[in-house]
Amino acid sequence: MIRSYGGQNSDCQTPYLCHCSLTSPVIKTSLHDNYIMGEAASAASANPQFSQLKVTVNSAKITGSGGVFSSKPDPFVEICVDSQPSRKTDAQKKTTNPKWDDDFTLLVTPYSRLDVRVQSQNTIRAPTLLGQVSIELYNILLENQGKLNDLTKSFEIKLDAKGKTGEVSLSFNGMDVNMTRFPKRNERRQTNASRNDKKSRGQVPNNSNASGSRNRRAPPVPPAPKRTTQSGGSASASGATVSAAASSSGTTTPVAQQNGTVPATNGTGGATHSDESDGQTGPAGHPTQAQQNQSNSTEPLPAGWEMRTDAHGRSYYVDHNTRTTTWERPQPLPPGWERRVDPRGRVYYVDHNTRTTTWQRPNTDMLNNYSAWQDHRNNRNIQLEHLQNRFLFPNPQQVTPDNDPLGSLPEGWEKRIDPNGRVYFVNHKNRTTQWEDPRTQGIVQEDPLPEGWEMRYTADGVRYFVDHNTKTTTFQDPRGGQGKGPKGAYGVPLQYERSFRWKLGQFRYLCTSNALPGHVKITVSRDNLFEDSFQQIMRLQPFDLRRRLYIIFKGEEGLDYGGVAREWFFHLSHDVLNPMYCLFEYASTSNYCLQINAASSVNPDHLVYFRFIGRFIAMALYHGKFIDSGFTLPFYKRMLSKKLYLKDIETIDPEFYNSLVWIRDNNIEECGLELFFTADFEVLGKVEQHDLKEGGSEIKVTEENKEEYIDLMTNWRFSRGVEEQSKAFLDGFSEVVPLQWLQYFDERELELMLCGMQEMDVDDWERNTIYRHYQRNSKQVMWFWKFVREIDNEKKIRLLQFVTGTCRLPVGGFAELMGSNGPQRFCIEKVGKETWLPRSHTCFNRLDLPPYRSYEQLVEKLTMAIEETEGFGQE
Amino acid sequence: MAATRRLQKELGDLRKSDVKYFRNIQVDESNILLWQGLIVPDQPPYNKGAFKIEITFPAEYPFKPPKVNFKTKIYHPNIDEKGQVCLPIISPENWKPATKTDQVIQSLIDLVHCPEPEHPLRADVAEEFSKNNAKFMKNAEDFTKKNAEKRPAD
Repeated sequence: MIRSYGGQNSDCQTPYLCHCSLTSPVIKTSLHDNYIMGEAASAASANPQFSQLKVTVNSAKITGSGGVFSSKPDPFVEICVDSQPSRKTDAQKKTTNPKWDDDFTLLVTPYSRLDVRVQSQNTIRAPTLLGQVSIELYNILLENQGKLNDLTKSFEIKLDAKGKTGEVSLSFNGMDVNMTRFPKRNERRQTNASRNDKKSRGQVPNNSNASGSRNRRAPPVPPAPKRTTQSGGSASASGATVSAAASSSGTTTPVAQQNGTVPATNGTGGATHSDESDGQTGPAGHPTQAQQNQSNSTEPLPAGWEMRTDAHGRSYYVDHNTRTTTWERPQPLPPGWERRVDPRGRVYYVDHNTRTTTWQRPNTDMLNNYSAWQDHRNNRNIQLEHLQNRFLFPNPQQVTPDNDPLGSLPEGWEKRIDPNGRVYFVNHKNRTTQWEDPRTQGIVQEDPLPEGWEMRYTADGVRYFVDHNTKTTTFQDPRGGQGKGPKGAYGVPLQYERSFRWKLGQFRYLCTSNALPGHVKITVSRDNLFEDSFQQIMRLQPFDLRRRLYIIFKGEEGLDYGGVAREWFFHLSHDVLNPMYCLFEYASTSNYCLQINAASSVNPDHLVYFRFIGRFIAMALYHGKFIDSGFTLPFYKRMLSKKLYLKDIETIDPEFYNSLVWIRDNNIEECGLELFFTADFEVLGKVEQHDLKEGGSEIKVTEENKEEYIDLMTNWRFSRGVEEQSKAFLDGFSEVVPLQWLQYFDERELELMLCGMQEMDVDDWERNTIYRHYQRNSKQVMWFWKFVREIDNEKKIRLLQFVTGTCRLPVGGFAELMGSNGPQRFCIEKVGKETWLPRSHTCFNRLDLPPYRSYEQLVEKLTMAIEETEGFGQE
Repeated sequence: MAATRRLQKELGDLRKSDVKYFRNIQVDESNILLWQGLIVPDQPPYNKGAFKIEITFPAEYPFKPPKVNFKTKIYHPNIDEKGQVCLPIISPENWKPATKTDQVIQSLIDLVHCPEPEHPLRADVAEEFSKNNAKFMKNAEDFTKKNAEKRPAD
């Protein structure tokens, strides 16, 4: 993997290349790129922005030259977009069947007009027109659903209003716009109409309806009334009987939820039972407004809402704005919020305080959630500083040549660190750079030398060995070649395969060897980071994302040697967390680990966003950048297609976990659990039943089959409500980085790669640790800390992951460690017998450390516990 | 639904057992996840009335515990003004899928009869209970007479 200084590969695998590849071309094109920048921008501004369209002028047939020409013409084609300066092909000599195959890259809008003129070159006089055609791009886009991909089309050319004088064949390529966002226009532009809506537009978290409000002149039609509500309405008007209502509606209230108008955090009360209800239960009964006085709330209902009471005397609420009903009393919108309807009839909410929009009707939970996120966001600068302290391997510069166990570098070599913090080696003799340490190159990893031996290098960098026992030297490696011991699945000794460093090297090698030349530019504004990034990343071909990244924050043009990209990954990873997007949620209160929000479908386009996030996460791994918040360990396991165990539930849902453990550990025959092979799950106020296996609702869980039940339940717990989203995420991910590349890693290592490590402060750790059934000065506790101080940082982090479920520490260090019920210090408890392995309770940050007899025993058992991730101590 | 069968059985057992302290059990056929009933204490200061409670079961029942809420106001150190009550038997740490609703109600009755001032939800009432029990008894009884539901006739 040696590259020369002048290589044309600018994928920045070696830092030398960075400097020469990032010169003028980047700067030159940046203006241009801003022009064709994002459709996000087009949505936000009054006029549609430009897209790039490649037009190939293939050929022409000239038939109607009439008697004007004594000889065959010298034809060329001139193309002009919207009266902008025109572009021309070369002229062909003396032919009526000219072929050009000339490409032009044009900046167009979907409403652009292309004027194509076929002319004949004359030596002295101005060119003679042979025929021309005006092409309305919009019509072509419409025919092709907005995608122009290698579309070849012939157009008749004419001279003025006279008949056809021939035809010209053009190909269109590279345009892809969402036509729903570009309504047909009768007149040219309606800038005024659209300007009024500027604020609301472009901030809707969904791009496809973002610009639609250009149609605002005609008020949007409310969604087609859903069956139930319609029946409710007609019942009230005509006094129809209950049975009429029942017959017209299979479903009842959940209609409101399907529209996403009901806050996701519905109580279990009213909304849930509607699902299994018969036709009578829906708010389709006989409304008697007189019962309004039953309302125990004094607050008035929001405009357009009405409370009614069904046949059972239960209150429900009718939203005349959307013609929907809900069991939950609507809270008035918080100050500064406004409810709007997009042109597709979907309701969304505008928060004028923050100038953002969301699909979800704001409720207290959501606003609290949001404000927590905001706080977190406001701390970002501090966190960003902390990010600088994250790494995968400690900065080797700190290793002074004196105590570098490998000795000094061969002459002419220099060790450097690239902007990403990775070490590389420069060979000044032949002007190459490489990642491998020249002293160990060719050796996967070193066994220690036998006692009394030393390794040295000659002036030429050749390695030799000194045997101080016999005072002799030899070039022969006393270890008898590399790779003793059993080989693992990847053909290297097992003990090395375990090493994270080796695995990372394999992964990096795959990245390097699959890099593409050139760079990919992503221009985003800080204010609209998520949408801008979304638009651009989804517009690019996935493989383009493996080119060297060149990130530009609008208005802050500067060269990206990695720092800007690092910031982008950090901020964007934080933004995808925004609870307003409803895509991810915190798995529990114990840490900032994310999981897919089962209610994400309140955003109708959620799957596209998950695909985007999948691509983005793959990019972070590929480009070796860290993200701000990580995912839950079960989520990483899913990425690695590893089996999920009961124990894995503990990190995300301790209550559920405890109940399953109870079922496993107790005889369930006599306690009337009434469990069947079926499970319920409530999402957006709707309870759905899922059979864990075929006919599961008729199979009772018994002492004999409960193991299978727990297994099925475990899988269901992880997949329920998030299968589609996970698939979209993984699809997006594997477009950029094949999932197979991750096969080397386990879930903890994957987390490390994404989030980076921090230097562990053992003093802080020890200071903030509490003990149960141990004392601070118990033997085992002292041994434990001795062990922690002796292991390297990577092992320390694995220990932390083992006990807390994540490699990340709060900004305030161990003092601020959180458990599932609030602050929870790191805790060591005396549990079990010396033959046991240590166990952990990640939701309580607790390590169960048996009272081992010796330090060696403790080291052995603890090492086993943190090295083995699968099956270990899973009880 | 998975929770339905279990709850139907529990409900049937509870109705059959005909306990004195939990009466007028109302469950809408269409929503078995929501129960209402009347707590009927037989010791002062609460034996002058009855208290309406609501038990809400999560969709994941019995993997997750139910929630209990007082719908009738009650003057009690462990029940706050909104009717929320902290019952150890249904706390996340203690919950077991085998715990039955009648045990939950029994435990609720026990708590009503024997307040735990060391884990109060209303600090003022708890203090009064510990420091001036006579005053507490009088206040609670007056409050019960004024706010509680009528006791069902036997």
